[in-house]
Amino acid sequence: MNGVHDLGGMHGFGPINPEPNEPVFHHDWERRVFGVMIATFGGGHYNVDQFRHAIERMGAVEYLTGSYYEHWLAALETLLAEHGVISHQDLAARLEQLRSGGH
Amino acid sequence: MPVVSKDFVPVLIKTGGSTRVAKPVAPRFRAGDHVVVRTMHPEHHTRLPRYARGKRGIVEEDHGVFVFPDTSAHEQGERPQHVYSVRFTSRELWGPQAPDRDTLRLDLWDDYLDLVV
Repeated sequence: MNGVHDLGGMHGFGPINPEPNEPVFHHDWERRVFGVMIATFGGGHYNVDQFRHAIERMGAVEYLTGSYYEHWLAALETLLAEHGVISHQDLAARLEQLRSGGH
Repeated sequence: MPVVSKDFVPVLIKTGGSTRVAKPVAPRFRAGDHVVVRTMHPEHHTRLPRYARGKRGIVEEDHGVFVFPDTSAHEQGERPQHVYSVRFTSRELWGPQAPDRDTLRLDLWDDYLDLVV
């Protein structure tokens, strides 16, 4: 798939600046996304190639502006919905609940 | 559905979900072979970067047998095959403005390659 993920040889993205003493997680939600990935991948819901491809299937703008774990989260949402573990409606309802101050 | 045990988690993190398989598949190439990468633009998943397509390199090492991502990503079977470290010169990949002594190694599956005769 000739998507924006295939960045090799492309110009215009600026220098790569590795962060000194980079922490494993920058935010607590990233730790949780990592855990969900381990549980669902280890649980056999998808294979590693399906996971990579789900990241490639993100919209181009979303992909280029998204962080590493945002890519993971997008892939998890796509695959778990496609495999019938969650539905997009459930996800939207839960997001709405959290936005309105619910837990 | 498999259950993730506590013991399995560090193994998974360490291997990164490696797709190496113990299948008796014959290699199509060996170290030292001159190969050319197939030109293709599949709409499916692939681990073959665009900039390497149509380029010539030399097989440096046979890593062994792995699941083929191009089919595995689409539930079309494992199609296990050898993966090689293939060495390309920078000039082959990027043209005459590239530094003349730089090289790049890519891990490429059997089905991405043809022998240069």
